[in-house]
Amino acid sequence: MMRCRNVQEKLSAYQDKELKPREQEEVSSHLLVCQSCHKQYEKLEGVWQTIGELREIHPDPWFYPQLIKRIKEPREGRSIPRPRWASRLLPAPAIAWILLVIGLLAGTYLGNILARSDFFPFQTSRSSEETTLTSLHVFDPVPPGTLAHGYLQMVNYMESDSK
Amino acid sequence: MIRVAKGDEDAFEILVNRHQTSVLNLIYRFIGDRTQAKDLAQEVFLRVWQTAKCYEPKAKFTTWIYRIATNLCLNELKSARRRRWFPFPRSNENEGYTFEETLSDGSPNAEEVLLTKERSRQISDALQSLPPNQRMALVLKRYDDLSYQEIAQILGCSVSAVESLLVRAKRTLQERLKDL
Repeated sequence: MMRCRNVQEKLSAYQDKELKPREQEEVSSHLLVCQSCHKQYEKLEGVWQTIGELREIHPDPWFYPQLIKRIKEPREGRSIPRPRWASRLLPAPAIAWILLVIGLLAGTYLGNILARSDFFPFQTSRSSEETTLTSLHVFDPVPPGTLAHGYLQMVNYMESDSK
Repeated sequence: MIRVAKGDEDAFEILVNRHQTSVLNLIYRFIGDRTQAKDLAQEVFLRVWQTAKCYEPKAKFTTWIYRIATNLCLNELKSARRRRWFPFPRSNENEGYTFEETLSDGSPNAEEVLLTKERSRQISDALQSLPPNQRMALVLKRYDDLSYQEIAQILGCSVSAVESLLVRAKRTLQERLKDL
């Protein structure tokens, strides 16, 4: 007589009728007397029935005509073939990664060159001190170059002139 | 098949008509997308036509054609994983059944139709959640009732491996479909 553990291991194959005839019979007789294993088997059967509910789909009437069209026009709709040596040496994802790395390196290199102040020959050079002072004016209540700034300068000039 | 190998289109048409439904459904149940299944089924028969000269009747023709279909499905799955970085929208009619098909069942009320559709979707989702080899083994067993030996030939593995794939697939489905 088979033990429950043995039977439960063989339930799937039993359901698929893939056990040897003797084993198949042994499992059958065990299921008749063991409620726990019988319950397990019923669950398995339930799942089998449930997935069997998915019904068939049917091919379109133009399945064959389309197929024949594809056979007679084999090149239509196919992607442009890569040279054989390229696909042999480098698969597509590898090429993409290499190009990405080259792009990043080139970008970093060019970015560093362009950021250098002496890169553009016609650029007027300013001392770092001057640049700092000019940038400080941004926070003035009246920034230089505005109408208000001009007016204040004029008033200051007139006051100093009258003294 | 001998006539097909000689380029006989009439024989090829007979062959396609005989096997198109089973091939289409095998792919559909594996992939879960109706439009994609139709494209892949065409690809299967295209390969049959192209490689007919190499066909040696060692195994059953069904085993041979299912092997082609299985390989195409597994390759498609791999490319789909790669394409996940650049996802394309899937067709709308891919899940479950069209209303016409559900209604052809004779179910008169709309609520029942929706419930059936939802149930089909849940079953299909549970199937799709299985790992590829388990899913294919299960589809070949459940819907085509192939023997473990035939499934092993199609998947290119041993009979005991098929048995183990099916045990695991059934266990997972039992868990995922317990509420249905």
